[in-house]
Amino acid sequence: MDAYRDIIERIETLARRRGLSFDPVYFRLTDSDEIAEVASMGLPNRFIHWYWGGAYKELVVQQNKELFSILELVLNTRPSYAFLRRANTYLQNVLVIAHVFGHVDFFRNNHWFAKSNKNMLNEAERHARQIRKYEEQYGRDRVEGLLDALLTVANTVNAFERNPAERRKRLIYYLEEKAPLEPWERHTLQMIREESEYFDLIQRTHIINEGWATFVEAELLRDILDTPAWATLSVQLSNRPAPYTIGYALFRRVKQERGFEAALQIRTYYEDIRFIDEILTEDLVRRLDLFVYDPKDRQKSYDLQQVKDMLIAQKLYKGEPHIEVDPASTPRELVLVHPEEDRRLDPKRVGLFLRAVYGLWRNPVKLRTAGKVYTYDRRGLSTV
Amino acid sequence: MRIHRGRIAQYKHDQLLREYLKQHLHELIQQKELIVDGKVKTPITTLDLPRLKYGEDSPVLARGGGQGGRGGAAGGGPAGDDEIQVLGGLLGGDHHGREVRVELDFDEFVRLAQEVLLEEIQLPVFHEPSRSGEVRTDALPELDDLDRIGLRPDLNLEETMLHALLRAIRERGRAEYDVELAQDGWYFVEDPSAYENHRSVEVYVLDISGSMRGEYLALVRKTIFVLWYYLERRYPTNLRRYVVFQDVAEEKTRDEFFCVESSGGTHISAGFEKAMELLQGVTEHDRFLFLFTDGETSSGDFDLAKRRFEEALGRFDLVCYGHVNPGGRGVGGFSEYVQEAARRLPRVVFANLTDADAIRATLGQFLTCLRRDRTGGQPWTPTGTSSSASRP
Repeated sequence: MDAYRDIIERIETLARRRGLSFDPVYFRLTDSDEIAEVASMGLPNRFIHWYWGGAYKELVVQQNKELFSILELVLNTRPSYAFLRRANTYLQNVLVIAHVFGHVDFFRNNHWFAKSNKNMLNEAERHARQIRKYEEQYGRDRVEGLLDALLTVANTVNAFERNPAERRKRLIYYLEEKAPLEPWERHTLQMIREESEYFDLIQRTHIINEGWATFVEAELLRDILDTPAWATLSVQLSNRPAPYTIGYALFRRVKQERGFEAALQIRTYYEDIRFIDEILTEDLVRRLDLFVYDPKDRQKSYDLQQVKDMLIAQKLYKGEPHIEVDPASTPRELVLVHPEEDRRLDPKRVGLFLRAVYGLWRNPVKLRTAGKVYTYDRRGLSTV
Repeated sequence: MRIHRGRIAQYKHDQLLREYLKQHLHELIQQKELIVDGKVKTPITTLDLPRLKYGEDSPVLARGGGQGGRGGAAGGGPAGDDEIQVLGGLLGGDHHGREVRVELDFDEFVRLAQEVLLEEIQLPVFHEPSRSGEVRTDALPELDDLDRIGLRPDLNLEETMLHALLRAIRERGRAEYDVELAQDGWYFVEDPSAYENHRSVEVYVLDISGSMRGEYLALVRKTIFVLWYYLERRYPTNLRRYVVFQDVAEEKTRDEFFCVESSGGTHISAGFEKAMELLQGVTEHDRFLFLFTDGETSSGDFDLAKRRFEEALGRFDLVCYGHVNPGGRGVGGFSEYVQEAARRLPRVVFANLTDADAIRATLGQFLTCLRRDRTGGQPWTPTGTSSSASRP
């Protein structure tokens, strides 16, 4: 790490001068494998599940083929821990350092992100230990089956929702309250729900967070780097995954039109939905080549409202179809509703999904969608 | 000591994957369209969490390759052939809870299929060779051409910066480097006709006339996958070309080769001709021809097919002829002729592919040929012109 001490100090000083503030950051050099591991599981020390294994494998393959590499990783803790990849070049790690200062500033100052659990690392470790205990007690297969079902419904969390009636429309909260689970199963559900809420907060600020970190990276390094290095960075900035490039483009636009101070305000008070809704313009949609694609007639639409709606729906429901618990559900029968929308459910998925929910509810589960009612009970799937 | 949680999770994931594949390999391998977009589509649900999804024909949010900013039409339009990157629920590039694909990467599918097949057919499994020192070559690929599409490491920064500069001047009237790769990127690329860096050329020729489905496809694909297992260990770099034929022959991409439709008559001569055409300019490689057919050559083609077969023997180092015969019927006609030739000629392997055991027998002959070559038998490639032979 000695090689980076001076540049870390220099970038930190620059960042503070630009009005950024953050908790202490500890940088650590590590290998690609560890970064891929944490990236695929979401948190270090999290419980082990085959589902992360697929993501981990994919990342390792991509890194080995040099198709894609995660250059950095920073943990949302107090103090923050940032990992620099040993295989990175010096310049790449300089970019990472500047990017990290953007993230830690966001962790501390963003109104929404500040609500996230800074102790989640320890929580995840505690959950992992507890799940291992349950595996010893109730058998590995049984626990894995439960985890499969819980992770299937985990994305129905809404960490932002405080109204109890609205929360109860979200499947995982309803199951937590009403499903006939054994105490250890309910406890496992609560652990998964808690972790999912943590990720929900992160996802709901993903574009603005990555956009801000990228924007800060560019702002801080524009003056430090020589022309070829700046050009290399510039290439990188335009070739990053969608949340980075979309968020970066939006912050650049804010700075161009309203100045750096306005950008600072936005990083403090906005989350993705407001950020997209307010800043994304027709011109930026074109510039980013962002569109709604209809595979039926192979048509692209750059219509601003359509693109915004789609982006916002992805934020609200994590790209999955929106389903709600019907308040008319009874202890004997859980009724789920997929509100009418242009997009239809993949019928192959419905039975599998309902089977997973049935595994938790243990009584008939119905799903109403597009004029059909699917029922899953002890005889399997039926449709009316 | 660090607990490698990622590797443990991967092990669990792969155990499920293997289990599934073992149960369903035969059925998966028979899919008419084996590869779609580089992936083997499977009905696997165990490797994905069974979350709800939208149907495949539902509109999706996507990004293109940077062309959107150039168009003038306000309402969008038909999608061209430019790359469309669908942005999933987490908008891609997210690190938290990424989806595990239902599809298998084709290479991964082949690797797992090989594992299952080698066990099933009881063929020897080799340890992964060390790659260092196996390939000796003075002829590195020459990236002497430029293209707008290329690999990231081959970016021509100078040209890219120049275009960024020109665009900045054009758009904003300011000379500043603010590269947008999709609009400014230029890459060094290899002249596609230069194949000097490959050590073996393998031409796979498939008869697509008649009943090209089910067991037929399964036998051909299983044989090819097992062949790849051994060839890859010998030739760390190789070039594979694919040909299909019925009345006429044409070259296909790998993905097309594994998704072909059957039709037309059987002109085996056309298959041989096309295979030999593909050797044009190939001088420093070990050259293999693998031809798979299930039937008889059309009337009038027999003599021509014989001539082309003999010519092919002179051009290829080894001709492997697979008579795909899942019904186990007798061998006649042109296949019989080749079977007879294989008894006399050391460079011909004839395989009567009736079942998995026949694959083992074929591989046995094939490996004998490889071993003979390794232990100083007849070298296949004229060594006079080669400065980069891969054999020890």
